Amino acid sequence: MLNKRRFIVGAALIAAAVSYLVYAGIRTSSMYYFELEEFLAQRDAHPGESMRVKGWVRPGSIRWDPQTNDLAFELARQDGSDPVPVAYRGILPDMFAAGREVVVEGRYGGGALAARQILTSCPSKYEPADARTAETPS
Amino acid sequence: MPEIGRLATCLALLFAVYAVAASIGGALRRRGQLVRSGEHAAYVVFGLVLAAAAILVRALLQHDFSLEYVAAYSSSTLPAHYAFAALWGGQKGSLLFWALLLSGFSAVVHLQNRQKNRELMPWVTATLMTVAAFFLSLCVFVTDPFERMPVPATEGRDLNPLLQNYWMMIHPPSLYLGYVSASVPFAFAIAALVAGRLGDQWIRTTRRWALFSWAFLSLGNLLGARWAYEVLGWGGYWAWDPVENAAFMPWLVSTAYLHSVMIQEKKDMLRVWNMVLVLLTFSLTIFGTFLTRSGVISSVHSFTQSGLGPFFIAFLLLVLTVGGALLVYRLPELRTQATVESFLSRESAFLFNNLVLVGIAFATFWGTVFPVLSEWVRGVKITVGPPFFNRVNAPLGIALLFLAGVGPIIAWRRASPKNLRRAFVAPVTTGLVAAAVLALAGVPLGYAHTTFALACFVLATVVQEFWRGMRARQAMLGEGPARALGRLVGKNRRRYGGYIVHVGIVAIFVGIAASNAFRIESTQALRPGETMDVGKFTLRYDRIATEEDAHLSRVTALVSVSAGGTPLGTLGPEKRFYKKPQQPTTEVAIRPTLSEDLYLVLGSYDPPSGVATIQAYVNPLVAWLWIGGLLMGIGTVITMWPSALERRAPAYELGGAEVAAD
Repeated sequence: MLNKRRFIVGAALIAAAVSYLVYAGIRTSSMYYFELEEFLAQRDAHPGESMRVKGWVRPGSIRWDPQTNDLAFELARQDGSDPVPVAYRGILPDMFAAGREVVVEGRYGGGALAARQILTSCPSKYEPADARTAETPS
Repeated sequence: MPEIGRLATCLALLFAVYAVAASIGGALRRRGQLVRSGEHAAYVVFGLVLAAAAILVRALLQHDFSLEYVAAYSSSTLPAHYAFAALWGGQKGSLLFWALLLSGFSAVVHLQNRQKNRELMPWVTATLMTVAAFFLSLCVFVTDPFERMPVPATEGRDLNPLLQNYWMMIHPPSLYLGYVSASVPFAFAIAALVAGRLGDQWIRTTRRWALFSWAFLSLGNLLGARWAYEVLGWGGYWAWDPVENAAFMPWLVSTAYLHSVMIQEKKDMLRVWNMVLVLLTFSLTIFGTFLTRSGVISSVHSFTQSGLGPFFIAFLLLVLTVGGALLVYRLPELRTQATVESFLSRESAFLFNNLVLVGIAFATFWGTVFPVLSEWVRGVKITVGPPFFNRVNAPLGIALLFLAGVGPIIAWRRASPKNLRRAFVAPVTTGLVAAAVLALAGVPLGYAHTTFALACFVLATVVQEFWRGMRARQAMLGEGPARALGRLVGKNRRRYGGYIVHVGIVAIFVGIAASNAFRIESTQALRPGETMDVGKFTLRYDRIATEEDAHLSRVTALVSVSAGGTPLGTLGPEKRFYKKPQQPTTEVAIRPTLSEDLYLVLGSYDPPSGVATIQAYVNPLVAWLWIGGLLMGIGTVITMWPSALERRAPAYELGGAEVAAD
């Protein structure tokens, strides 16, 4: 029976290691996911923290410089109200366009979102696959 | 015609329900006729679902836009093979496709077991048909693929351009084959629990099914990675997206199961654990279908949610409750006396391998559902990204790789010092030498370095096994080296096939470690004639070529590639603009070699100035992922190939006394 106990200890160690890795992983790499409304209500409570914010690209707000790959646009409600300026540098995602629903990953500060990544999805049509289109792991 | 399709689906549901009732009734009242009748009903279900699927495919090929599904996922200009693939391109069709595969597999199971496993079969039929009834009732009541448009559309909205790709022709069916065939071992496990036949008969009967399911899950995951790599254009192949995790988790648990059944067959241990793994694998396939089809968790990525969620949750709860209750009910009989005797034994290596695999599955599950859990518990959605999964799974993966070397060569029961010396001196030395050489060659210490060294260790164990087996045959039977090697594998297919699968896994580990650790990336906006450097490559952006046809227009950047002054040819990364639906897509250009892939993306193009932004990646050793996949496939086929004994005597698998006279 000594052996059995040793195995339980071994198994418990593995379980503890997995739990610790999960716990530490979540502590260090989790971020808030806000709908635009939630973001508007809470944005000042999380200065400088990484977060994802979902909203719509306000039509007419896109400024894109293809020579420097600087992108500026406004994230807003579906009707275009409550715009929040977003700054991003990098390749423009394929699905990015005015009026589309996007998720901006980045930090909020000084009244604007500095985006590290823009996630887009194919409008109206569910597909597991196309959902990942513009995702670039940071 | 579509009305007939709908009718066939409805009838199939009725027959499935009848099959469940007849099998259970027949088993309880010991009426063989009723059991047979239930089996016949299961065949009818297959026929009806096949007819329904054929009608849907016909509608897709004939562009019958009066059907909502056809209008949503195809168009009149869509090539026929993609129109066919639209069968599984959308939610409604894919659920029908699930039902089709399941009823097809259940027909095969019934054919295989006409004279075998008669005690188990009624419960197998009942389980499989319950699952079929679930998917068919979704097709009938929730997501009718034969739904008519209020007003017939004149043209379809077309299949998403990203899915118009040959990998997407084969990736989803492969994954579905893997998902759905996991139902068969599950059904036999449930049957074994209900009928109280708790030996390894059900395991032997479903060994090939479990391997089949595992092989297609492996293939599906790799094809998905390949598709992501070639089509999505971010330079990687795996993003830990919920949908990817959905396919990865059942693969992990199924891998654990394939290992732990060996312990049950050899040592009659881990009976309960094996039941748990089978139940878990099946639950995860349902959960995976749920994740991909409901959009509940992937809301970060696919924003639409469908009403399917509650149905899947309810079914999942049913599966877990019934499975768990049966397991608890049979627990006293499942317990065996055998215990693991020593830490240093094959049993224990397999046990730890299982724990690590399930640990990875658990961590992945946790990360995948964390947003939903955090919303329930704290009211805020908190997501974890790829860094979480990499950080957690990398050390676990390394432990797994180490065990893949230890498990096959350590002795059963208790390894003696002599066994340890004989088995481990050469491989451990190889691993240590590799670690030293790699460190001297400038590979920085870290996960990648450890992975490479462990890979050498595992390869050395495999080579040693082949070598010793071959030498033994040569010495005892006087065979030549090639013949001895061939016979060795031919006579021990499960063992040596398994080793080849391990070599494939090692190749994949190496590819993943290298491409993660040593990837080089550079993005630059270039004028025609300007150059940029990435890794050892020099890229010169020559000019833009444009082309247009009825379906799409393309903008191709012509990029001359050279390394150290040697020209290596021209690559042409593209942007395509599909006209319907209006959408740009990125077509990457890849120059693959065994040592690294040069991967180019045309990020943007500014016509007035001619400036193009080129995003370039050098991904080392990515090719070894695909080569590893191929090796896994070869190994799996060897393991599954029936031996001469099995071919001569099909009754071999019956397990003697358990053949029931019906």
